Order: sequence, then structure tokens, then C-alpha cells
Amino acid sequence: MFRIEADRARFREIVRGRIRADLRRYLSTGELIGRAGEHAVSIPLPQIELPRFVFGENPRGKGGKGEGDGEPGEGEAAAGEGGGAAGSQAGGHILEVEVELDELAEMLGQELELPHIEPRGVKELASEGGRYNGVRATGPDSLRQFRRSFKNALRRTLASGLYDPRAPRIVPVREDFRFRMRKACPAPESSAVVFHMMDVSGSMGREQKEIVRIKAFWIDTWLRSQYKNLAVVYVVHDAVARIVDQHTFFHLRESGGTKISSAYELCLKQIQERYRPEDWNIYPFHYSDGDNWSARDTELCISMLRDEILPRVNQFCYGQVKSAHGSGQFKKDLDGALGDEEILVTACVNDRGDVPEAIKAFLGKGR
Amino acid sequence: MRLRCDLPPALKYQAVIIENAARAAGLDFFDVVFELLDAKDVNGVAAYGGFPVRHPSWRFGMEYERLEKGRQWGLSKIYELVINNDPTYAYLVRSNSLMEQKLVMAHVYGHADFFKHNLWFAPTERKMLDVMANHSTRVRRYVDAFGLEEVEQFLDRVLSLDTLIDPFLPRREQGHAPEARSTYTPPSQRALRMLDSLSSPPLAAPPKDGASVAASELAVEPRRARLPSYDVLGFLEDSAPLEAWQRDLVHLARAEAYYFAPQRMTKIMNEGWASYWHSKLLTGGILEPSEVLDFADCHSAATYAAPGQLNPYKLGLALFRYAERRGEDLFQLRRVHNDVSLVHKLVDEEFALEFLQPLLPKPQAGEAQAAPDWRALKSGLLQQLAWGGLPQIELVECDADGRGELLFVHHHDGRDLQLARAQDTLLNVAALWKRPVQLLTLLEKQGKKLLAKGAEVSVLDSPEAEARCGAGDGDPRRPVRREAS
Repeated sequence: MFRIEADRARFREIVRGRIRADLRRYLSTGELIGRAGEHAVSIPLPQIELPRFVFGENPRGKGGKGEGDGEPGEGEAAAGEGGGAAGSQAGGHILEVEVELDELAEMLGQELELPHIEPRGVKELASEGGRYNGVRATGPDSLRQFRRSFKNALRRTLASGLYDPRAPRIVPVREDFRFRMRKACPAPESSAVVFHMMDVSGSMGREQKEIVRIKAFWIDTWLRSQYKNLAVVYVVHDAVARIVDQHTFFHLRESGGTKISSAYELCLKQIQERYRPEDWNIYPFHYSDGDNWSARDTELCISMLRDEILPRVNQFCYGQVKSAHGSGQFKKDLDGALGDEEILVTACVNDRGDVPEAIKAFLGKGR
Repeated sequence: MRLRCDLPPALKYQAVIIENAARAAGLDFFDVVFELLDAKDVNGVAAYGGFPVRHPSWRFGMEYERLEKGRQWGLSKIYELVINNDPTYAYLVRSNSLMEQKLVMAHVYGHADFFKHNLWFAPTERKMLDVMANHSTRVRRYVDAFGLEEVEQFLDRVLSLDTLIDPFLPRREQGHAPEARSTYTPPSQRALRMLDSLSSPPLAAPPKDGASVAASELAVEPRRARLPSYDVLGFLEDSAPLEAWQRDLVHLARAEAYYFAPQRMTKIMNEGWASYWHSKLLTGGILEPSEVLDFADCHSAATYAAPGQLNPYKLGLALFRYAERRGEDLFQLRRVHNDVSLVHKLVDEEFALEFLQPLLPKPQAGEAQAAPDWRALKSGLLQQLAWGGLPQIELVECDADGRGELLFVHHHDGRDLQLARAQDTLLNVAALWKRPVQLLTLLEKQGKKLLAKGAEVSVLDSPEAEARCGAGDGDPRRPVRREAS
């Protein structure tokens, strides 16, 4: 269904307002009401209706309104007609769903005009399966290539003058046989690892965590769309750091003190042990409210960054959320000590509105 | 029976059995070709109105998106899809059970018979599959030559007018035209004619003698002479100041509009006829005993209508069963009627009270509803069906006020136009005609004249409209229609 996909892409472009602005005013944001488990969910269904002469809403016309829905020639017996039961249950909560993350990531890329991240010189040669596209003189019978084998036999028979057209008999000998051979196709692949490190200490309020999660989510989504082979490590830290899974990362609620160096230590350990810079593009992200436990710990962080982490990674991003309690000191310290390091990017987020800008700051460099 | 080898043997076997049963019952159809597709691919084809190839348009993408979301979330699914063509193509969905496939096949044979024999389908193009593919090629060629944006925008403009056709026109013209098929034409000439029709209208070269392209299909006097007319697209194709490629796009949109028009006019009958036959054939010995319950479940789901909702399957089936009970000749009915005339003929008090009353919106609790008059029910339904459920808008003059302006009259039947849309549509006409365009209509019983000029539409009071747009008293008038003499 290649053609219909092309039409669908065109329609989506129109809905997003990238082309055919003249159609925008006929756009309505319809929805389908679906069901996911217990909840009713709203599936966005934008529709564009070309203007036509139609009847308006004047109630004097008798007769019920029944739409003869459906394209002509199409018998569409919908088992459960869309439209939803009109029963007026009080406060039926409807969740909005947006289905395709890939599409969102793509939109994000277009909206923010992010350059595609170039894989650094590191390439991992991965042989993917390989294909039988070679020939050789030895091999198992199961891979024997009849046509070539026969040709060789025929050629040899003809050349040796043994061929008799009236009784064409070709007897292959061992040298005639040819076998398929598998050739590995090395495909250069770039692999990347992303570290999401999040401060979940008590000073981070609910709103701060939310902002951080939004940001991490988008960065995560975007990077996943850019790399086939993306490893993501989620790290949460208060006074100690630990590695968690994606779900936990986005849902964890914790409190405690803050020791940023713990996260950096863990990150460094991972880099040294599992994600060596020769093989991986490394993108650590760290989100915090900038309230570290002590100045000594901050110093430790800075020296660790300068000496150990920065030389090993493509880019290190630090995003700081503004919080009521937080001093925001950490960003100042970083900028002061490492401001001339190009690999280090810091950004400040005051509220949700700043998230796109911060993402742009992080990913806009295409490093 | 070509291509049927695509079906797995079990389905092929059923198809033969059902076809034989259908023929034995008196149905008659072109060859029916079944294609087995995945649900996703069926949606793709359904978005194209059943055709594997259509011209590129975002509208099909939009339809596909709707169908796909419905399918992915399990809200709706397409059982069957059949197109009016010779041979008749029908699609089966791979994920359906064998019982459902049988039901669909029997249903399809009903549609196929209807396509072949209903009078309103008689003038339709029977090689539409090829024509659609040809349209697609032409549009793609224009896109290459003039740019996607340009072509698409023009096509959208034309398509916003695709309801402005005269659904009775092909039938009338067919009545007039001499029976060309009866005389023998040598294959070489037939091939030539075929080529002509494929390249109509010629892009640059003037048509050669004897192979006039425009004349090949509708050899009639210029449409300009035949005003007033409902065939606005035809008029624009002939007379609007357009580029050759634009004229061709109008031609193409018009051909597709006329192809689909009978399906709108006979939706109830068509589905009713097919439903009547699938239930008759399947319960007449084709179902295995173990399938009967599933069949009943499936059948009643398809013919169920919530109160206030018009389900063409249900209403059509009820009409044919009612006719059968009254001893009417069903085959005759399916041949000569469309939805309006069938309802007009069959619906009486008994039928109206049983089947039409539920179409009314549910009365509010506590609100005592007077028992409705069955005549009112019937005329309400008729009004809803008349003219394909669309406003009747006629082109009456092409030189209004001596300034080369088009003048349209909306034959008002008690229902006003949706003003904003009417204005935009009128602007689209004006853009094609390249001169101002007027529409007379009634809004809340006041005569109004909509004047589309440049990029704006002004709404003026017009006493003339009150005189020409007909009854404004809420009395639904029968569609004004000029009969073929």
C-alpha cells in the first residue's frame, strides 16, 4: 500500500500546517472514542472537509437525522458503531492518547530544526546475517548451485569433444560443481549510549521532577529516533546513585539529600566498564535543581568532569530546573570552572515553557 | 472467474457453491472476482473507494487514517467491499471466519446482481477500474508538469463542486442515444475508440477528423444551450475559461462523480437487496448447523440500528421483505427503482409505524409525544433521501445581468443552506468561472442573493429569490425535475 501511505503522509503534513494553509480553516479536530481497559480514551482524528453545498442546522425540516455514512460502494458494517453511547454518565474521564512516538520525534526534529546527530568516528562493524551471493568450488550439497554446475559440466563435455547431440548426456565431475557461498556484508553501525541522570532529592519538588521528566522524555524519544542502536541508562540519585529502568525513572518519587558526585561516579564507572568510548557515542544528561550537598562535592564533580568524563563523551548536558528551595549554585559553578569546554552544555529551565529551548540547547549542536 | 485462483481452496470452494446457489435463485451478475486481503490493506483499498489505484489526494489519506485508527483501536472493521465494475471486484478480509466469508460472498453476489440490473446503474462505466487507473496516471502527469501544490489545489476546488451534478442526466442521455453497441464494429475501430477515450480530452493536438474525442461518449449538443441545468460540472467543463489540463481535471472529477452518483441514490436498496440475499442464500442450505448462531449474531449486528439512526441495511432489508409479503415482484423492484421511488411505492401506514417511527430521535423523558402521522414520517424520510440528501442547486443562467455571471437557484424545500460552506463553495465556482457568481436562496424565509466576487461573498436581500426559490412555507416540495421527453 505504498500509494495510500503517500496520501496519508500528505494529509498529515496538511494537518500539521506545513503545507496547503488554505485548507487549514476546514480542519476540525475530531476524535474517536475508544476503550483501553477501564478507561475511555480519545483518539484524535483530525478531519478536513471541503466546502460543499449542504443543509444547515435549521430544525424545521422534519425527519430524524440519519447520516448515510460511508463511501459509496462500500458496505461497512461496523460492529460497534463509533460515536459512543450517548448515555450521560457523570464525569466519564477521557484520556487523550497520541499514538505514534516516532512521528512525534520527527515533528520535534522539524519544529526545533535539530540537525541530525552525526555519529562520531567510532564505528562498530556488525555483520548482519550476510547473504548468499558468492560462489565457490567446495561446499555442502545443500548449497550446490545447479545451473553453474551444469554449465561447467556442459562446457567441459563440449570442449573435450564428448558431447553427442543425439544422446546428450552430461556427467559432472567433482571440478564442475559450484556452491553458494555466504558473504558477510559488514554494515557500519553507530551505537550510542545515553545516560539520563536525575536528581530525585527532597529539594526537587513535584513540578521540578515533572519538568525534568518531560525534558528527559523528549530527549529520549528524539535520540531513539536517531539511532538504531541506542542504549539508555537511567540513573537516579539523591545522596547515592543507582541505575533504574525506564518506568521507574519516569515514575519514581523519592527524597533525601543530594550528592551529585555519586551519579557522576556511577556514570563514569559505566563508561569505563561497559560503554567504552572507542565503541560508543556517549551522551550523558544530568538534571537537577542545582542544590548540591556541599561545595566540596561540587569540586569533586568538576574535577571528575574535567579529567575523566568530558574527554570520553560526545557531549555532556546539564539541565537545571529552577526550584523554590534550590540555590541554583551548581550551574554557576560548572559554568565558572568549565565554561570554556565546548562539550559541556548547560541550560536553565524556569518552567515548562522553557523545555523546548533547553532541548534545543542540548541537541541543537548536532555533536 | 479470473484471478479466483488467489483464494485458498476452502474459500474458492465456498465461492463456487454460493455462486451456483445465487444463480439458481435467479440472480445474474458479471463475473465476480474475490481478492483476499489483510485488514490493513483492505483499509487502504477502502480509502480509495474500493479501487486499487486512484489519483493522489490527501483526502484518501485522511480516510485511510480514519479507517486505520478505527481498526487499530478495535472500533470498527470492514467486512466487505465491492465495486461496480465488469468483472465485479470484491475484497475479503483475511482475518474473518469462514462463516463471515460465506456471508460476505453471498452479500457480494447480491450487490453484483444489483449493479448489473438496476436501471440507475445501467449508464455507469463498467470498466471503472481501468478508468480510475487512467485518471491516476493523468493526474500524476499533471503533477509532474505543473507541480503538486497547483494541481492539488485546483482538484480540491473542483471536488468541492462534485455534488453539483444531475443524477438523472446519464439515464436521460442513455434514453436518447442510439443503441451503438448493437451494430458491429471491427476490432480495429474498437481499439481506436478505446484509445480515444483514454486520451480524452487531447492535451494539445486538436482532435482529428473521425476520431473526435469529446463526441465519443456523449454526442449531444453543447451544454450551454441546455440551461437551466443541474449538471454544473459538465457546464464548467465545456464553458469555463480553463487551461487544457484544468479542463481535463474537471472532466475527470465529473466522470467519477457520475460513477458514484447511483450508489448514493440506491444505498438503501442496494444494501437491502444484498442483505436479503445473503440471509436467504445462507439459511437456504449453505450454512453448517454449527454456524447458524454465529451467522444470526453477525447478521443482526449488521442490521441493527440504534433509535434515531438510519441503517440502510436494516431499512432496505425490511423494505424488500415487506414487498415480498405483499406479493410484489422483487426482481422487478430492484430493476426499476431507486431509494426515493421505492420508499414512495412501498411505505404505507403499517410499514411506517413499524420501521420509520424508530428513526425519530428519542422523545425526552416526560415530554409527551403525539403519535406521529405516518404520512409525515414517510415524507420526512423521502425528504431526507431526495436528491441524495443534498440541496438542489440549479444553474439557470450563464450570462446573468448581461455581465457573464453565473446564476444559481437553490430550490428551497424548507431546509436552509449552511451559509459559511455555501459561501466558500460559491467562491470555488467563481474561481473556475473567473467571473462573479450568484446564488439565490432563502435564509430563514427571507430571499437572499449570495454574490461571490473576487475573494469575497456578499449576502444581499433579494425579493427575486423569494419568487424563484419556491415554497418557503416549510412544506417540503417534491424535487423539481424535468423529465426526459
